[in-house]
Amino acid sequence: MANTESLENVVLELRRGVIVLAALSQLGTPEYGYSLLKKLSDLGLEVDQGTLYPLLRRLEAQGLLESVWKLEEARPRRYYVISAEGKKLLPKMKKEWAGIVSVMDKMLS
Amino acid sequence: MNLIDRYVAEVGRNLPLLKGREDIEKELKSTLEDMLEDRAQKTGQARDEAMEVEVLKEYGSPQKVAATYNPHPYLIGPKMFPFYLFVLKIVLTVVVSVMLVLAGVQAVSDTPFMGADFVKIIGQGLGNALSAAIAAFGNVTLVFVILERVLPDKELGGFNDEKEWDPASLAKEPDPDSVSRSELIFEVVFTFVALAILNVYPQWLGMFFFTGDEQVFIPMFTEKFFQFVPWINITLVAQILLDIYLLRNAIWNMPARIFKILIEAASLILTVIIFRTPGIIGFSAESFANGPFQPEQAEVFMTIATYMFPVIMAIIIIIQSIELVKAVYRLFKTSLKTK
Repeated sequence: MANTESLENVVLELRRGVIVLAALSQLGTPEYGYSLLKKLSDLGLEVDQGTLYPLLRRLEAQGLLESVWKLEEARPRRYYVISAEGKKLLPKMKKEWAGIVSVMDKMLS
Repeated sequence: MNLIDRYVAEVGRNLPLLKGREDIEKELKSTLEDMLEDRAQKTGQARDEAMEVEVLKEYGSPQKVAATYNPHPYLIGPKMFPFYLFVLKIVLTVVVSVMLVLAGVQAVSDTPFMGADFVKIIGQGLGNALSAAIAAFGNVTLVFVILERVLPDKELGGFNDEKEWDPASLAKEPDPDSVSRSELIFEVVFTFVALAILNVYPQWLGMFFFTGDEQVFIPMFTEKFFQFVPWINITLVAQILLDIYLLRNAIWNMPARIFKILIEAASLILTVIIFRTPGIIGFSAESFANGPFQPEQAEVFMTIATYMFPVIMAIIIIIQSIELVKAVYRLFKTSLKTK
């Protein structure tokens, strides 16, 4: 039991680390919360709603995202898109990620 | 109100922050509508209450959803916590010591003998110290809880001086020039208490006796002593100013060392002058005779007071001399280091 729990915790921590990068990378074009969730899911990354939506708000508060309400199909939707600051930061994050992947590949292979 | 609206409202009620609540509710409703639409399309069924129930169950309880939006699951966050502990330790130490000293002073001055009253006052003093400590704990915590929520994240980072910390400082420890903050704060508090007693509550300096309903007060000092109070005030205020400067500067420097020597020297000279002034002690055979004493008892008290005064003054003078020598010694150390 304890082992499954440890595994779950590690997986959760790993995912939490990549969600920011995943979300920022996919918000070059405006997406609303649910559409981003589906986009990430289609690409193979399943993210919990309870994780993604608060995260988007946090990233906006940090100035990495911008958001705007749009009225579509008689329903208002909040669209998020990467900000100028986020665009500046994204390449650096990608580089960090590539570094981590190559190091971990070396370590785990 | 349909099920979705009720759910959204319930989440809103559980949101910890007032700011952005409407926005979160609006976004949540929009998301749930999207999910329902999606689900209806996929299953080919019309949207109904059963489907809403299913989607809401998947989304989770309103409390759980609201909690995910809470940026502060902490009462006091990890960034602020070390600073909180630091302040808490100082405040608790000062509050408890002051309360205990006050209880001790009261016990000694209000009750002539080690009787039931004495024990009662000490017991009350301990109780007061405990409740004061609990109140101080609550107040400090409350202030930090508010700071945690009011200060922006970037400001919070300021309490972590990790960036400015230089590992090289480890080699230099213990630096004779570094100041001990807790000692300084202690000194400020007690100097302040001394100032207050000398100037505002001089009536505390003496002995209280109760004879039936009547309260007799025998002052420790005569008017002659109080002529010196302005001079004592100058040294005490100078001490407080120096301590505050050191608290801000965090390190002893040459001017501070010299100032410290001046204060110590002035206090020493002042003490000697007071000691050599005749007739500054208020205790006398007559004053004790006014108290609830037999003439023999008054005699005993008088003798104790007469002997105690020079002893206490001698101890004070010795302590002040040691402090002065220490201050001069440290000045030389500081000047050697700067060379």
